[in-house]
Amino acid sequence: LSAAADDAAALTRPTNTIEAGSIYSSQNSARFGQYNGLNDGGFYGLGGFDIRGGDGYDQSKNSALRWKLNGSNLGTTSRTVDGSVGDQGKWKVNLGYDELQHNITDSYQTPLQGSVGGNNFTLPTNFGTVNTATGKPGTRFLTPAQASDFQTEKEYVSRKNGSINTSYTFNDQLSAQIDYNHLDQSGAKLIGTGTQGGINLPGGSTGKAEAINMIMNPTSYQTDNVNAALNWKGDKGHLTSGYYGSIFHDDYNSLSWQGAQATGASGCAGSNCYTNNTMSTAPSNSLHQANLTGGYNFTQTTKLAGGFSYGYNTQNSSYAPTLIPQAIGTPYNMMQAGGLPTSSLNGVVETTHGDLKLTNQSIKDLTLTAGFKFNERDNNTSSNTYKYKDLGNAAFTGVNTPYSNSKAQYEASAAYRLTKAQNVTLTYNHENIKRWCNGVVGGAECVASPSTNEDKVDLTYRLKAFEAVNFNAGYSFADRRADAANYLANSGNYANTTVGGQNSNSVLNGGNYAGYVAYPYASRIQNMGKAGVTWQVSQKLDVGVNGRYSYDSYDATLGVQNGRSAGVNVDTTYSYAENSTVSAYWNWQNGQRNLNSGTTGNGTAAYTPNQIVAPLNVWNNQLEDNSNTVGLMTRRGGLLNGKLEVIGDASYALDTTGYSTQVPYSTATACGNSTQLTCGSLSPIKNEIMSLKLTGHYKVHKNGKVALTYMYQKLNSNDYFYYGQQFGTTPNSLMPTNLQMQSYAVNVVALSYNYSF
Amino acid sequence: AEGVQPPAATASAKSPAQMIDRDSECTRCHDENETKPILSIYQTAHGNKADARTPSCQSCHGESVKHLASKSDAPDVIFGAKKTVYTPNKAQDQNVACLSCHEKDPKRTHWQGGAHQAADLSCTSCHVVHSAHDKVREKPTQALVCFTCHQDQKAQANKFSHHPIPEGKIACSDCHNSHGSAGPKLLVKNTVTETCYTCHAEKRGPFLWEHQPVTEDCTNCHTPHGSNITPLLKSRPPFMCDECHDGTHNSISPVAGSAAGIQGGLTGAPANPSTSFTGRACMNCHSMVHGSNDPAGALLQR
Repeated sequence: LSAAADDAAALTRPTNTIEAGSIYSSQNSARFGQYNGLNDGGFYGLGGFDIRGGDGYDQSKNSALRWKLNGSNLGTTSRTVDGSVGDQGKWKVNLGYDELQHNITDSYQTPLQGSVGGNNFTLPTNFGTVNTATGKPGTRFLTPAQASDFQTEKEYVSRKNGSINTSYTFNDQLSAQIDYNHLDQSGAKLIGTGTQGGINLPGGSTGKAEAINMIMNPTSYQTDNVNAALNWKGDKGHLTSGYYGSIFHDDYNSLSWQGAQATGASGCAGSNCYTNNTMSTAPSNSLHQANLTGGYNFTQTTKLAGGFSYGYNTQNSSYAPTLIPQAIGTPYNMMQAGGLPTSSLNGVVETTHGDLKLTNQSIKDLTLTAGFKFNERDNNTSSNTYKYKDLGNAAFTGVNTPYSNSKAQYEASAAYRLTKAQNVTLTYNHENIKRWCNGVVGGAECVASPSTNEDKVDLTYRLKAFEAVNFNAGYSFADRRADAANYLANSGNYANTTVGGQNSNSVLNGGNYAGYVAYPYASRIQNMGKAGVTWQVSQKLDVGVNGRYSYDSYDATLGVQNGRSAGVNVDTTYSYAENSTVSAYWNWQNGQRNLNSGTTGNGTAAYTPNQIVAPLNVWNNQLEDNSNTVGLMTRRGGLLNGKLEVIGDASYALDTTGYSTQVPYSTATACGNSTQLTCGSLSPIKNEIMSLKLTGHYKVHKNGKVALTYMYQKLNSNDYFYYGQQFGTTPNSLMPTNLQMQSYAVNVVALSYNYSF
Repeated sequence: AEGVQPPAATASAKSPAQMIDRDSECTRCHDENETKPILSIYQTAHGNKADARTPSCQSCHGESVKHLASKSDAPDVIFGAKKTVYTPNKAQDQNVACLSCHEKDPKRTHWQGGAHQAADLSCTSCHVVHSAHDKVREKPTQALVCFTCHQDQKAQANKFSHHPIPEGKIACSDCHNSHGSAGPKLLVKNTVTETCYTCHAEKRGPFLWEHQPVTEDCTNCHTPHGSNITPLLKSRPPFMCDECHDGTHNSISPVAGSAAGIQGGLTGAPANPSTSFTGRACMNCHSMVHGSNDPAGALLQR
């Protein structure tokens, strides 16, 4: 009896656990440790706990008070700690802290000096300039002294997240909750930069325009999110009114760096040899949103649900500085005289959402649904003319085009139970998207595809063929019709007077050739099919197979022509004993995209339809993305008289992405010529991941378990992305980063003791 | 659909002891010796008897008078998807038992007509109600439950570039509301961009110089569950940029092997790979693709 009582108590009272141990990783690898906290080779502490209590677990007491404390991964940068206490049905408070270091790379090298997370990077005084004039070796042939100035920096973003969640129940009908979350981000991500042209340097050379330096873009961010809600529920309906606030703050509004690339030889030496450059960073902004959502049951079978929300998003961060001090002469002014209309954007975007859905199940075996959704992003930011100098030091006039869009969706569906074993569902969806800009200077059309209409029909069939066999199949057809007539991109050089009644350089079709349509805005026919079957062969064996295929065809002379997507999944699980299973799976996915583009035929900007000319030479590019994953998992319990449990997990994944370009017209030099390489196939981007994980839990006594885990993971990565960034093989004006491919082979061993009480 | 009624009144004014007595009609047989731990429900919110809303066994499984009289007769409501001793009730009927308490909840407002309800899923397709640790309600293990059906996403989540889902730092429910939502793909917010901005607020702007597809849908360029191309890109520049840009700049040029530079076989005297094609390609200069707030940045370069 006492044993039975103990067993019952073990089930009805919470089991607290404390885990302590150590984990060893064999290799430094930013990629392997990308998210798991095992950033470097060596030992880490392994700690965690799960402790629960309160009279609410004691059935003899009239109390609903329960509390819990949780912690995991305490010895790594992926640690989590949270705790909560609540009188169930009355109130609850939860405090949480979560940490995550996202490693980006540990192989980035740069001569620029400055701390990770800072926003100002300078070159060492002995670096000197690099001559990138045409025909010169440029950055591919840095001097030994310059090469010795490169140092390695680890790129990562650290996210620290603190939260407090509270809820209070006033009575059976009314409750409230307030959630607050503070996210603190630090570190940096690499970003490409182009240097400013037209800056004179000591020694007679000038700064190279659009020379590339990969620099560390700081992520010195704080984001505060508040979610407050008041919930009411009655006999037939419920309603929730809420507020969502999100305040984003960036400690910086600009990023500055020095460029060593020059257009000619320079005898310059010392700290004043470089161009000083500045660009913007992510601006601080805020969103305040009011939300209302609820539902009403007219009857047990007729229900209405809906919601409305209004958001007010603002951004008024001061612009990045435009007057940049230089080594000699006066500071470089990025703006033309009188070219800066405001010192900050004072941007305002209003978002509106509404949805309504009615479901009816009053007719036997038939479920009818009708719904409507509306979303609008109305950008009321002022449009102004900004006259500045581009990276080539040429006068450039831009007009900001505050993009707005709205989407209205209408949906109707009918689900009918044909027999006890068969269901069929037919769904029709109509979607209308509108795009515009408010008050653009010049008043011209600013968007590709001002209007899009799409009709979609979806048919799904489900059959329970036998007691243990379930089959499903579906087909959907979608017809998207886009208004993609040549539009006038209302941005560009407004310095000239109007031509053909339009602003100079406000070219038709956004500067694209006649017939070119960006794929999100092209008319499209989409066909999708899918089917699957699950079979419970016995109470021990399950088998599942499913597949899908889709084909998109775009109505565009140039641009994306079509795309395909397919996938197959096979999985099976066999429960061969109590607490003992083995399962295997295979997943295959394939995606393809076919693109046409043209090289010549529209040499000048077009202002009227008769000026725009279709390209003469059309080339084609094909993308193929292929993925194969196989895995085997097993769990064996009850070994050694129930003291030992073994878990195994092995998987293999191979992902490849390839590009193939065809140039079917004659060129001055054959496209395959090694001085051009404008046609043919790239070596595929390949990532091959093998993983094996074995874990054993051994019960050393009633309250204690020892866990031993071994994991081996290997990544073979091959990506041409890195080639152009290596010292000696960069483009003429790109400062090397020597970024390395992130292959690794890591062994991990973890040993921990888990005490339960 | 057929006027299924909740098995029993759910709210109760009975004392914990009375509730335990009510349960004992079942637990005198379904005790600590059950293969599946029935009694561990007392560790969950459904077993906190001092909360007047807490259900008894009969609240969910029905009065099951026949079952009490004879084990060969099934209880009124059998949960689950697989046949064990008894054949489970239809998902819709199982869900009535849960929704009788949980329907009037803002997180489940859109359950009816939602993707999972339409797919005939029951609550117990994902939830293990009697377990002290319901996997789908705990961040580190939630994805394992979702991946049993969403196997494409399982494979994608383990690709070279992915959100920290396998590492248990992001849960599916951080972005999706599996109980139904007004957003696309059961997203927790009304739009894709709103959902992404909850963590990536630095992309929200509004920016002085906007990039039109960015203001509409992050998935024009990104695939959120995982990609072979970091950071979660659908394609690699310049090819990705070519899908929207043609015209008078370098996006008109066929690239092919020249994107791999000298190691790709490019020669010349001296060989000079293009900054428009190699490495970040277009984004070597046009790096502010999410928008620029620089008054001299109309071309998303600053």
